[in-house]
Amino acid sequence: MWRATLKGLLAHKVRLGLTALAIVLGVGFVSGTYILTDTMGRAFDNLFSQIDKGIAVQVSGVQKFKGSGPGGEDVGSAERVPNSLLPQVESVPGVRAAAGELAGYAQLVGKDGKAITTGGAPTLGVTSVRDPDLSQAVAREGRKPARFGEIGVDVGTAKKHDLHVGDRVTVLLQGPPMRATIVGLFGIGSADNLGGATIVAFDPRTAQIALNGGGRWDDIVVAAKQGVSPSDLRDRIAAILPRGYEAKTGEQAAQEASDQIKKGLSFFNIALLVFAGISLFVGAFIIFNTFSILIAQRTRELALLRALGASAKQVRRSVLGESAIVGLLASVVGLGFGFAIALGLQGLLRGFGIDLPTTTTQLLPRTVIVALLVGVVTTVVSSVVPAVRASRIPPAAAMRETMPAEYQRSTRRTALGLLVTALGVAALLTGLFAGKGAALVGLGAAVVFLGVATLSPIAARPLARVLGAPLPSVSGLAGRLGRENAMRNPRRTASTAAALMIGLGLVSFVNIFAASVKASATQALQQTLKADYAVIPSSFGGGANGFSLEVATRLRIEPAFSAVEEYRQGVFGYQGSAQQLSAVDPALLEKVESVEMVRGSVGALHDGDVLVYRQTAESNHWRLGQTIPVQFARTGRRELRVVGIYGDNRLLGNYVVTLGTFDRNFTAHLDSIVLLKTAPGVSDPQAKAAVARVTREFPNVKIDDQAQLRAEQAKQINQLLGLITALLGLAIVIALFGIVNTLALSIFERTHEIGLLRAVGMARRQVRTMIRWEAVIIAVFGALLGTAVGVFFGWAMVHALNDQGITVLSLPVRQMVTYVVIAGLMGVVAAAFPARRAARLDVLAAITHE
Amino acid sequence: MSSTLTDQGPVRSVRLAARAVEAVKVYGSGDASVRALDGVTVDFEAERFTAVMGPSGSGKSTLLHCMAGLDSLTTGHVFIGDVDLTTQSEKKMTLLRRDKVGFIFQTFNLVPTLNALENITLPLDIAGRKPEQSWIDRIVSTVGLADRLTHRPSELSGGQQQRVAAARALSSRPEIIFADEPTGNLDSRSSAQLLDFMGAAVRDFGQTIVMVTHDALAASHANRVVFLVDGRVEDEMADPTTDRILDRIKSLGGE
Repeated sequence: MWRATLKGLLAHKVRLGLTALAIVLGVGFVSGTYILTDTMGRAFDNLFSQIDKGIAVQVSGVQKFKGSGPGGEDVGSAERVPNSLLPQVESVPGVRAAAGELAGYAQLVGKDGKAITTGGAPTLGVTSVRDPDLSQAVAREGRKPARFGEIGVDVGTAKKHDLHVGDRVTVLLQGPPMRATIVGLFGIGSADNLGGATIVAFDPRTAQIALNGGGRWDDIVVAAKQGVSPSDLRDRIAAILPRGYEAKTGEQAAQEASDQIKKGLSFFNIALLVFAGISLFVGAFIIFNTFSILIAQRTRELALLRALGASAKQVRRSVLGESAIVGLLASVVGLGFGFAIALGLQGLLRGFGIDLPTTTTQLLPRTVIVALLVGVVTTVVSSVVPAVRASRIPPAAAMRETMPAEYQRSTRRTALGLLVTALGVAALLTGLFAGKGAALVGLGAAVVFLGVATLSPIAARPLARVLGAPLPSVSGLAGRLGRENAMRNPRRTASTAAALMIGLGLVSFVNIFAASVKASATQALQQTLKADYAVIPSSFGGGANGFSLEVATRLRIEPAFSAVEEYRQGVFGYQGSAQQLSAVDPALLEKVESVEMVRGSVGALHDGDVLVYRQTAESNHWRLGQTIPVQFARTGRRELRVVGIYGDNRLLGNYVVTLGTFDRNFTAHLDSIVLLKTAPGVSDPQAKAAVARVTREFPNVKIDDQAQLRAEQAKQINQLLGLITALLGLAIVIALFGIVNTLALSIFERTHEIGLLRAVGMARRQVRTMIRWEAVIIAVFGALLGTAVGVFFGWAMVHALNDQGITVLSLPVRQMVTYVVIAGLMGVVAAAFPARRAARLDVLAAITHE
Repeated sequence: MSSTLTDQGPVRSVRLAARAVEAVKVYGSGDASVRALDGVTVDFEAERFTAVMGPSGSGKSTLLHCMAGLDSLTTGHVFIGDVDLTTQSEKKMTLLRRDKVGFIFQTFNLVPTLNALENITLPLDIAGRKPEQSWIDRIVSTVGLADRLTHRPSELSGGQQQRVAAARALSSRPEIIFADEPTGNLDSRSSAQLLDFMGAAVRDFGQTIVMVTHDALAASHANRVVFLVDGRVEDEMADPTTDRILDRIKSLGGE
């Protein structure tokens, strides 16, 4: 039996290859993701252990709240260490040297006068530590900064932006910008750069001013005397520390710093794995379909085996064995492909300026196991149904003329399809509306796809008939036959289309969702924004969450504006989960936007109070006057008193506090947006000129009027949309291979028929046209199903997020039509190879073929 | 070879629908090569029903395939009317099959997705020509399938399918129809119906048919039988009957 299995496999290498391709791509994506993130993780491990080598102990404030915001926002740092602690630490026996460190926002202005931005990595200012053991920076050129007006810059940034020792540059800070001379370039350990961040080093005294230290340090790093172990020294130092501060060994600190970055990487890892999972899901459909067709074509062969005494079990095992071998081979190739993907992505990241510290590419045993397991399991599971079908072939079928059975609409299938779809919808809606988590939503979506795929053969014939209706008049007999071929085996057409349905379903879902977010944002802005202008960071993902408070301070001096309202944003903890808050000046708030107060008033907001969004208050059962316990990374547990509850408001988020409350509980003070209301009689050019006077010194901000602000939001959403669509592209490509595969197999099955058509005078061109139309119908059918499912998903998602301010359901009809048209064109592409094969069939061989 | 032709008696002044001249077809090369056609020269007169007979491996199917432009000769020439097939491109050959040649195969004659009528007009549809309704009606009534026209092939019996195939071969009024064992898979009653129809096509519509068969009863419907042995024309017979054919086969040491 096994010999028959293997021989069968080897006899159809092309078929095998096409089937395996779907798995190769999916497994490649999975393993590539792991290899890439493992490699990056290892690189950071190496880097931190290298640069912190000389540090025996690190003293810092205890992080009172850990976690990150819903969008991965930083919670801010712990309380800083007072300068007065430094001499105490230095006096502990065994300490050779100690130094305070500070890190914060510092952004360089490039030679073109524009702020230097990163692809999302931080723009950091740090202290230049004198002691070489304690310094993470290694001087490469020039010297360390020693006084006010001198800075060092990391080699990577200097190279990329053409900065040299001796250059005079501007550095943007939390406070006023600073002019300084570059006196030295440094590397981070052996690396030129730290993951794409730009780093400016100041001497310790300047750092206190530039980075808003206020006489405190982020941490104190300590070098040990010869023969003193880091853990002993840590214990000795810990003994003298006041409450709220802790000592760690350098090794621990390095590990924590690296873990922090790896946590960021795991977000990235999960995001990529989701897309890899989608690709595999699509691949599973293709395998299911391919095996089903192969079984149908091999009916006689399998029946013969049965007639010769093979049991149903043996036949089933043979098919499953075949799929396991295909899965294993494909997974091994996929693993290799994953290696290539990882290298390619690293190159791509480098292209975006995210230069990773170099290390050897990491292929962990976990990656190999996951890749093989995922590949084999996907393949075997998707061939279970075909295998069972194969085992049900009666031995007598060997003797019969095999004509593929006419498709019967079965009520069992309909019932099953409806049930599965209903279960999927239920899971999806429960996940969305009861807030039971993303996993349930994803599972629900997958089950909905399965259910629709089960039901789709019912729709395949009538829809193909309608879709193909214009074909006979457009391209004659070839068109008519293409349409008939798409209709003749609805199950095959449907499951081929199902693969494409998934890709298109997700693409149209994200498009609908993005369009709805845009429309909602626009509507919200129009309804709530009273301000005439907004000052915002000039580039999205500029590294910092905002810009210097100095901008607002200077704008306030300008007589052109009657109100200058600052917004700061931060993350805090409530019952262990991270929440985002906005901080504003309550006296100005209602001048720049309309706030619909349900309870209380904006005027009641003082330091230590909070305004809460209605939905948030309702779901937590908070009432006016109640105090709620919250946690800040810097100050730990605090209580905020609810003094107002407000309705839908996009600008404010769910919690609003005063700027005073914000500044006391966060270490970094930056504005995320400044809203401006012009004074009466001030013209647009006058207002813009006033802003320009201020922003000349702050190239990292720009001014938008209301329309520009809306466009800005749309642009950010479109960027994200583009990225997601590109990632879903892989699933669509895999679905295309599915169409190629099905057509190639169908053509093999129809060798006779094509031979006959050719014999009675059909030209090669007409044969190609016929197959092309079949592919187009399948592709458009899949795209339409996908769009329908996508619209449902979009509708559900928008309704679920109603209380998050997504109130408008917007269907981007033009885009959706475009995607369906593109799907049709992709059908043409997918048909190219099978059509060529069919057209090249040797006519005589085809008609005499048995 | 030419001596065989003189056996035929006085040459009538008729048009030739197709002919082969010194046709040689060799499969394979070296020691493994097989001469399927070993210098066949034969004429097929227009408006006549010719049967080609011979034992298995005599080259009768190969001759038919080469005559019909489905296969190419190693050396020699075949003509449909005045057109030398050996000099035609693949494209021209396709057009020639479409416009000048009709086919009836042993099995798999019909496109399963098209109904009987659509199968009959298939060559016309491929060419994008409008079928001449009176002509189609005439064929359909002769073939006796008027009430089956909207049925798909899977809903027709084997005999009905072959008659549809024969009607299709006639629909484009080709210069010549080649039939390759058309009754090979049929019972005797269905065979008789099909052969009667083919005979009527020659007699009443002036069609030219060349049929390969190894069934003497089938061959007896023809005006003339050509006997092939080992890739050569051994003999031929005008106005054959079943008994005469069987006698001749015995004398040729055939099947």
